[in-house]
Amino acid sequence: MAGGAVSLSALAKQFGDFVAVAGIDLDIPSGEFFSMLGPSGCGKTTTLRMIGGFEKPTSGRILLDGVDVTETSAHRRPVNTVFQSYALFPHLNVFDNVAFGLRRARVDKTNVRRRVATALELVGLTGREHSKPIQLSGGQQQRVALARALILEPAVLLLDEPLGALDAKLRKNLQTELKALQKTVGITFIYVTHDQEEALTMSDRIAVMCDGRVDQLGAPREVYEEPSTVFVADFLGVANLLPAKVVDSNGNGGCRVRLGETELDAGRGDTATRGDAMLVVRPERVFLEEHGSAGPNRVPGMVERVVYLGPAVQVVVRLAAGGTIQALVQGTSDELRWRQGTPVHAHLPGDALRVLTSREPEIAPAGDDQEEKR
Amino acid sequence: MYPRWLWRASALPGTVWLFLLFLVPLYAVVAIAFGDVSPIFQLPVPVWNPLDWHFEHMSQVLTLFAPSHELWLVFVRTLIYVVAALALSVLIGYPVAYYIARFSHRSRTTLIVLLLVPFLVSYMLRMLSWVNLLAPDGYVNSVLTGLGILRTPYDWLGGHGFVVVLGLVYGYVPYLILPLYATLDRIDQRHLEAARDLGASRFSTFIHVTLPLSKTGLLGGAAIIALPMFGDYYTTNILSGTPDTSMLGNQIDFYFHGGPQPTVGAAITVVLAAFLVVVMSYYLFSVNRAQKEMHAV
Amino acid sequence: MSVVLPVRAPARGGRLSRRLRRTADNPWGRPRFLGAVTWLYMAWSIVPVVIAIQFSFNAGRSLTAWQGFSLSRWYWGDPINSVFKDPALQHALLQSLKLAGLDVLIAVPLGVSLALGLARWRGPGAKAANFLMLFPLVTPEIVMGVALFLVFLHLFTFIHPGTTAQLLGHVTFSISYVVIVMRGRLFSIGRDYEEAAIDLGATHWQTLRLVLLPLLVPAVLASAIIVFAISIDDFVISSWLSCGSSCDTVPINVYSAARQAPLPSINALAAMLVYITIGVVLIGYGLYRLAMRGNRGSLADLGV
Repeated sequence: MAGGAVSLSALAKQFGDFVAVAGIDLDIPSGEFFSMLGPSGCGKTTTLRMIGGFEKPTSGRILLDGVDVTETSAHRRPVNTVFQSYALFPHLNVFDNVAFGLRRARVDKTNVRRRVATALELVGLTGREHSKPIQLSGGQQQRVALARALILEPAVLLLDEPLGALDAKLRKNLQTELKALQKTVGITFIYVTHDQEEALTMSDRIAVMCDGRVDQLGAPREVYEEPSTVFVADFLGVANLLPAKVVDSNGNGGCRVRLGETELDAGRGDTATRGDAMLVVRPERVFLEEHGSAGPNRVPGMVERVVYLGPAVQVVVRLAAGGTIQALVQGTSDELRWRQGTPVHAHLPGDALRVLTSREPEIAPAGDDQEEKR
Repeated sequence: MYPRWLWRASALPGTVWLFLLFLVPLYAVVAIAFGDVSPIFQLPVPVWNPLDWHFEHMSQVLTLFAPSHELWLVFVRTLIYVVAALALSVLIGYPVAYYIARFSHRSRTTLIVLLLVPFLVSYMLRMLSWVNLLAPDGYVNSVLTGLGILRTPYDWLGGHGFVVVLGLVYGYVPYLILPLYATLDRIDQRHLEAARDLGASRFSTFIHVTLPLSKTGLLGGAAIIALPMFGDYYTTNILSGTPDTSMLGNQIDFYFHGGPQPTVGAAITVVLAAFLVVVMSYYLFSVNRAQKEMHAV
Repeated sequence: MSVVLPVRAPARGGRLSRRLRRTADNPWGRPRFLGAVTWLYMAWSIVPVVIAIQFSFNAGRSLTAWQGFSLSRWYWGDPINSVFKDPALQHALLQSLKLAGLDVLIAVPLGVSLALGLARWRGPGAKAANFLMLFPLVTPEIVMGVALFLVFLHLFTFIHPGTTAQLLGHVTFSISYVVIVMRGRLFSIGRDYEEAAIDLGATHWQTLRLVLLPLLVPAVLASAIIVFAISIDDFVISSWLSCGSSCDTVPINVYSAARQAPLPSINALAAMLVYITIGVVLIGYGLYRLAMRGNRGSLADLGV
């Protein structure tokens, strides 16, 4: 099977006054595992439904392998969907569910039997042909839904939170399986989820969406390590967001940032900006040192809380400049050094400090908003 | 997904049917109530154009509704019967629905089947069974005289308001219990547990949580039984049959079937319908408010 | 612990109130009072009907005194007065069944198609149609009876009071019930199944035929049962649109006979209707269970 390349241009959808998707441009190359990640209401499912042909775009175009399919009805698109609810027909057994699409395409009987058997083998459900959907477990139902969609050899498979209804352990297993399956069949997967871990582990590329727009598009490492907006930084895992003021260039490609009484070097992000901005630093890049230790990029504070996380220890430090910062301390040797009330210096390396200027006006006077959240 | 015309076409036959055989007939009643009467046979002539309506019949009927006139008494009596029957129905129906929804465990299926039995038995048979029981030599009288409570058989069917009210309750209460049960059954047990957890006693949990949450079902069930009770005439006819217990429905029945003036009957029908529209509007208003309160939580 | 402490009587309230309070405070106690009310209600609602049916097996002519058991007398045994021998009773039974059967055949398809349309049709007319559909449910039967009576008398004069008029009336009040039941089911199945079918290449017509209609079968059965039951039970509409004795249904017969010292045959007639309704409901329920296999169903599906 060859995957299809999907291209969205200025795709938008409005429901009455509500803008669900506010003009999206995306190019998804053939054979990619592409995820749309975002909180509920960000427009990811609506975008998926437009690609699937279940919603008519208000404006914009959808191209599939260069062919405009915007006006093509759902049952004529070489695109299949795995629904969040699976939507397995309750009155049909597993075999008839999987064979449904083939029969619509008037595939002859022997071929139907052969291809259903292959598809069920692919998802490991051989022998359950005669079960009704209700007799299957959640994970099995999910596999039937996959087989049913894949059997038509679509150019693109759309998956709408397909693991949402499953428990955590099963979800982990299926993530690996799904990724392997995609490699095997080689078709384009467009995957919608609100679970950042799911998106990070499976995808080739991720589009992080917010308010009907794509905030950032990139490989998992890229969006995680180098978030380009405050929203992306916040949504993808725990990030320390510190309101600060960019004062000057540091003559080294980075900039000088004022955080409370201290001035820091920041080497990443929008270092050309001046004035109010957000400093983002991942907890695992924050190093705690004895109080009074010298060197640049150190801010004073006091340990407020120590949380045991298993493989690591999370230390929450209240900064003298106001606000708190989280540090993730790996290993066992260090963890006992930090106790509640210990004065410390937090080392924020310049190459881990990202300067972000929010495009959302409501966070623009960044300080106020962050204070309120705490 | 589907062609646009499909659903409109699908809804068309039913809509046309309801338009021709529900809406048009309702208008026919109004056209007669505000219509003419043929000079010789005094037969009603409908006037379809509202601009040509005659108002004399309606005003004549409305004067009968003035206090201490003929229809005023009937109207007040109808109101009293319905309100009394409604109150009794809630008094009987709520505990039953509540018990089945909350406390019956093994007996639940049995109780629900028993709850549905009245729906399988025609209303008239259920009334007939009471006519048999309340007859002068019926079981009720023989039991009461046998126990010495009554010295002589009581004439239950001789035109007593309370018998009519009890008959209405007997006839309609199943229609109240079922929706009420459905609502009570749907109340999330966790709400009740939360209330208990927060220190509410059983009683105050009921007052502050269960009762408000069942408000929509209670109002709905009450409307379901109150509306047909206002139009009832057969229950009082079968259980009493004297003018002393006549309700508005009986008047309509009388003017069409017994009396010479269908126009008056049509006018009373319009008055009844208008009254019910007012009651319904209030009902819809309070249901709306109750639902808004629920969503606000 | 052999010291017996004197039991102090409560300052207020007797044993009864103490007991009540204890029952109310015991978290695991079952509310016996409510249970008693419930079972008493059940007895009150069912025993009179059972007695009435019992009297249809009375060997004698009395409806108030038990004169021995006869299975057949008032059903077919009595050569003049039994249900199967008295032409009026026999005719009423047939008329009731005829109306109910035809009502199901007409109202169910009309209501199903209306429900499908109303659930999917978006537009200015849809709201009005939705509103119109609810009205018959809240209109007292006497108002509908008067209205239909007058419209057949003055406007649709080509329809005379009689079986046709009665049938039209029955269908009119039945449609809304079908719509309500279907709408509940349509709501609970949602649109995913249809989208899945379309996604898998089914045409609109195939989706309707292969997915939506099979999923709707249980609700169709449920609404057929309900329509049958309310049509069989109807008195007001049948009586307002009646053409006289040849249009009498069982409820009309029972109504007119009730206060005129009837024979047990009238109980037998009404009881026949109960047997038939129970039979229809049981068969319908069996089919419903068959159709619901594999579905997660609930009372909510019936629009309750």
